Amino acid sequence: MSRLLVTGGSGYFGSVLVDQALARGDEVRILDLNPPEPRPGAPVDVVVGDVRDADVVRRACEGIDVVHHNVAQVPLARDRDLFWTVNVVGTANVVVAARDAAVAKLVTTSSSAVYGIPEHNPVDESSPRRPLEAYGRAKLEAEALCAEAVAAGLDVTIIRPRTILGHGRLGIMVILFELVAEGAAVPVLDGGDNRYQLVHAEDLADACLRAGDRPGGLAYNIGASEFGTMRETLEALCRHAGTGARVRSVPAGPARLAMRSATAVGVAPFAPYHWLLYGESLWFDTTAARRDLGWVPAHSNADMVIESYEWWRAHRHDLDGPGRSHHQSPVRFGLLELLKRLR
Amino acid sequence: MTDAAALPRTMVITGATGWLGQNLVRAVAPERERVRCLVRTPEEAALLAVVGTSVDPVIGDVRDPDALDRLLDGAADATVVHTAAVIHPTTGTRELFDVNVGGTQLVVDRVRRRGAGRLIHVSSNSPFGANPGPDHRFTEDSPRHPYMGYGRSKAEAEDIVLAAHERGHLEAVVLRPPWFYGPYQPERQTRWLRAVRRNRFPMVGDGSNRRSMVFTGNLVHAVLRAEQVQAAAGRAYWIADGPPPTMLEVIDTVRAALDAEGFAPAGGPRPRFPRAVGDVAERVDGFLQARGRYSQVLHVLGELKDTIACDTTRAEIELGYQPATTLLDGMRASIRWCVDRGIAL
Repeated sequence: MSRLLVTGGSGYFGSVLVDQALARGDEVRILDLNPPEPRPGAPVDVVVGDVRDADVVRRACEGIDVVHHNVAQVPLARDRDLFWTVNVVGTANVVVAARDAAVAKLVTTSSSAVYGIPEHNPVDESSPRRPLEAYGRAKLEAEALCAEAVAAGLDVTIIRPRTILGHGRLGIMVILFELVAEGAAVPVLDGGDNRYQLVHAEDLADACLRAGDRPGGLAYNIGASEFGTMRETLEALCRHAGTGARVRSVPAGPARLAMRSATAVGVAPFAPYHWLLYGESLWFDTTAARRDLGWVPAHSNADMVIESYEWWRAHRHDLDGPGRSHHQSPVRFGLLELLKRLR
Repeated sequence: MTDAAALPRTMVITGATGWLGQNLVRAVAPERERVRCLVRTPEEAALLAVVGTSVDPVIGDVRDPDALDRLLDGAADATVVHTAAVIHPTTGTRELFDVNVGGTQLVVDRVRRRGAGRLIHVSSNSPFGANPGPDHRFTEDSPRHPYMGYGRSKAEAEDIVLAAHERGHLEAVVLRPPWFYGPYQPERQTRWLRAVRRNRFPMVGDGSNRRSMVFTGNLVHAVLRAEQVQAAAGRAYWIADGPPPTMLEVIDTVRAALDAEGFAPAGGPRPRFPRAVGDVAERVDGFLQARGRYSQVLHVLGELKDTIACDTTRAEIELGYQPATTLLDGMRASIRWCVDRGIAL
């Protein structure tokens, strides 16, 4: 049994991580801007506060064995100042507080955005990191802070997940789900032959907990083992849905321009990371995580997309409401009507 | 001549988040009990604290006496390294004097009143202007010809520090580094590397003018020597990598460093301006600065034609200064630093 601090523990992925930790007998403290869903009787205590506040983070780290740092300002937020203060300054606060509290281990969730569009796939932990946009650069800067803390003696493991999917983490998938449900054309860029890997929140949480249990290991890339191209993943979903929806290729150049324009005028919730990567291949070699952590992912791309789609169908009418993070919020889109006409 | 055993356990650094400051903090943090760092914001404090447990950021402005009192609190024996300065002001030339002169005056006053160890003042080539010809080298005895507002502000700051030393108010050493390069570089240096890679950096004149340069690691070494050598008290020293390369050699070495780190530089003709363009830029820069305004582009363009070269013999003999990193290796280190942070070149 360990005492864990989970920053961002009220968010979707954080909740999955907290539940897994509780299931195996850990005690958990959550640091989040928002209080978590109640878990009556569970050994959970909560610090409601901002990771940008060094004193709050310091208090949250007291008496903790392992810190799991998951707070991030995600690409959907599109706010450069927040990218910097939350992702970089927030990580600095966590690193310093973990070090000063002498915790045994810090596991921090980074992003595949640090790799930008890779020249070669698969991408492993030593592949060059060349982020393309503000989110990826902020996450890389946070990684540089972690490397500096490691050099100064703190045990830190960086987990770099592919795009996280799970029922509470739908993000822009909601746009594709709307199209599938309506039996509309589902766009992929330039044929959709890019290999696009997802990772299930449950598999990612498992990797984080395993990394927290052992010393060393600077970075692990985490993604599903069964995944195909963007077209194959979405075709599997269309077959499953049986709504008559079909995958349809659109030229990448104009589509990226449309995504960027729709975002600029506020009718669609994309960020540069989306229009840059939707049509690109990015998949991880997860050998190191399997070897060092004994980690085996249970969910394929197609499973995840279908599971998420079904959850969304069952809950789509309950999704409107305040206080949700960007990844949980159902997105508003005037763009949808345009996309439906692709058919 | 040196007395390493008496090395103070605390170092106080102003400008700790600057180009030299970032390198200095990282060099000394593992060995000192405490590295008291003046930073401007809580965000800067958080980032710097990651470096190590000895790092102790104090948030404030070098123009604020209260901030300096907090910085020097309990640091009676500490070496104080004053690196805070403005080179390229954003709000007009007044800022140069407020920070470079006013800030230095305050640091000197507070060190005198509160007591501290040796003050190492980081100055510049700029109080000396340009050499009269490409073969001339500045020594510590050369006459001063401050170049524009920055040069005047740094000359005044030197005078304040050295006068305080002579009056016995404190013990000071002045270091005069020319053009820096190295990790933790500001955005302007990244733009310069990009321009050199694309062969867009203009040569003003024929490129035979010489420029002393200094790698941040070499300058950190000089700061530590200036801290340790007793006989350095009250003296000023030029600090540079070694014999000054010509401007052409600088550009060619940077291109070789880019190539060696996997960033093939572009070929083709290099933009060239006659010296007269530099003269005009200098005049317009001077005209603007006389009216309190500042243009970084004009200022840099006006200086590109000049030889700014120094002789580091005194530092080598008196401080035991031995620059270990060459221009090529230092530039490669800078480029790797950019790569590690995802900064595109």
